[in-house]
Amino acid sequence: MTPDLAQLVERVTHLYEDLHFQSVHDWKSEEPGRHAIGYMPIYVPRELVHAAGMLPVGILGGGDRLEIIRGDAYFQSYICHIPRSTIELALTQRLEALDGMLFPSICDVIRNLSGMWQMLFPERYVRYIDLPQNFDPAVGGTFWRQELDTLREDLGRIGGREIADLELRQSVVKYNENRRVLRQLYEARSERPWFFPTSEVYLVLRAGTVLPVEEHTKIVRRYLELAPLQDDRRDQDMSRVVLVGMFCEQPPLGLLITLERAGCWIVDDDLLLGLRWMSGDIPEDGDPLQNLAIAYLEQSAQTASVYQPEGRRGAWLVDSVQRNVAEGVIFCAPSFCDPALLEQPMLVAALEREGIPHTQFKYSENTGQFAVIREQAGTFSDSIRLWSEA
Amino acid sequence: MNSPMSDMTLNGKLFTAGIDVGSSAIKTVVVRTSADDREEVLALRTDRIRKRDLRKVIQEAYSMALEEADVAPDSVAYAASTGEGELVDFRRGHFYGMTTHARGAVFLVPEARAVLDVGALHARAMRIDEKSRVLGYRMTSQCASGSGQFLENVARYLGVALEEVGSLSCQASTPEQVSSICAVLAETDVINMVSRGISTADILKGIHLSMVGRYLKLLRAIGAEEHVLITGGLAADEGLAEAMREQAAEAEMGLTIHTHPHSIYAGALGAALWGSFRHRVLARRAGTTEN
Repeated sequence: MTPDLAQLVERVTHLYEDLHFQSVHDWKSEEPGRHAIGYMPIYVPRELVHAAGMLPVGILGGGDRLEIIRGDAYFQSYICHIPRSTIELALTQRLEALDGMLFPSICDVIRNLSGMWQMLFPERYVRYIDLPQNFDPAVGGTFWRQELDTLREDLGRIGGREIADLELRQSVVKYNENRRVLRQLYEARSERPWFFPTSEVYLVLRAGTVLPVEEHTKIVRRYLELAPLQDDRRDQDMSRVVLVGMFCEQPPLGLLITLERAGCWIVDDDLLLGLRWMSGDIPEDGDPLQNLAIAYLEQSAQTASVYQPEGRRGAWLVDSVQRNVAEGVIFCAPSFCDPALLEQPMLVAALEREGIPHTQFKYSENTGQFAVIREQAGTFSDSIRLWSEA
Repeated sequence: MNSPMSDMTLNGKLFTAGIDVGSSAIKTVVVRTSADDREEVLALRTDRIRKRDLRKVIQEAYSMALEEADVAPDSVAYAASTGEGELVDFRRGHFYGMTTHARGAVFLVPEARAVLDVGALHARAMRIDEKSRVLGYRMTSQCASGSGQFLENVARYLGVALEEVGSLSCQASTPEQVSSICAVLAETDVINMVSRGISTADILKGIHLSMVGRYLKLLRAIGAEEHVLITGGLAADEGLAEAMREQAAEAEMGLTIHTHPHSIYAGALGAALWGSFRHRVLARRAGTTEN
């Protein structure tokens, strides 16, 4: 690896490993009066937070580097891992940099977590972001616009000033730019995955949850320049797969490394989906709040926690497989993740209608043993390569 | 996505290599595939790792195998790794152990429909079809008992060279079954038996029988029928094969236990053969794309 890429990777790795969010503290201390607002996966309108002069900070649990001591007391054993590690982060004062917290409507667990937050931290701003499940502009659009209005007012109150339309338009421009470079990154990886290992792409992506959007865009651009210059990265005979189910609780990095070592080029995934939520640009002129509302209705990513009409589930996955010339799909969902695991049979049915091979296994953010997953993913990769044309 | 090696055949002959990186040895095989799909083994070699730099051992083993096969490195269309093959920097692809042992087994003993792969660290039984497709498998747990390492430890305690274990075991008259085949407790067991005056041959045969008990359970679990080929590092141990035959007959499992002089190369052989297959698939695809 060239020194400049090594330096970039070292930086994003450090950001990933820092469970005390020092970069957020640093950002706040640069100017008095700055605020940071945390958010859970999957989607929140970060443009609004940015327009208020605040830093949106993705809170993605404690991963495999946090021992859960108090968090387990808040959840039954049949609940996934991310809420307990998020509580642990908060109770161990690791989230002190946050002046507020947004909980989008992913599932019941995260909704309950927002209630717990209100009780545990009554002095902090907490909002449950009730994303619309009705995509009719007159119904869901009106509702979502009202929710955005309320959020805009709340953030304005915390920041001590109203959010102007011009500021919001400028934020939309910044996030459009960021999503464009992320789309480029995903396209580049799909085209030449050996230059853009997912275990590295993930870290680059993840930096976007703690850094200001402008800085993150620069990092992604730089990574896009540097990665293809690595002479030690070369094409190998591996299977091209799409990875699904990782949109909320994040996999340990070791799991992504394991999948690649097992002979899988990951050519598409739903990791950190919120950063790439909109399929295209949000209009940069006109009523910015209305633009945000309509963009959610018309350009949202399709995933388990979003309503889709009967019979349409899985169409996006088949499309991703075809668009990325993938040879199979790996369902890799967190244990006890209701949205991912309840959607899985419908996605499997969609794949089987098209004859697309798939395999599945579960993880937890603190999974530490990958031998079985490696064997399974490796054998899946072999079966794709050897039996699809044998 | 065209392969840069899509036309890499010499006079209609395709050279591929398989490198099986085990925990104690590297097995390397070079194979030639003719235009009529005839596959021929040109070189086979085993190199013990012996605490040396693994990358270096792999590179040296590969170079020497190519030399033995009289094949230039740039004539190899597909170098495939298997086992712990991540350190094979020059590989074009990697195949998993089950896939390669199944392919190697069918090449060596075409009637084989089950494979018992006994390596240094674990044993694995696979049921396969005539196309080498793995239909089911079972593995020993992480416990080291029943593995090659276990047998190697016992041989060391007894002061017997590993190569002599098989022939000595075949000379046993009244084998002594060990009370436990826990690798940790084996030393104590063996010392007890030695102090009781039990012959080395009987101790070794007893250990073989204890290990075989585990393997037959694996074979039963996968529903193995008829022809079974032993592969992996312990395939060369004739005493183990003999004990398998005896126990399988006693249990009336209807199994024919096979060994082959090249059984220990099954993984590397399978990797080389699958490499040949994949090269042709990729070349065909590249041709299709070009056309």
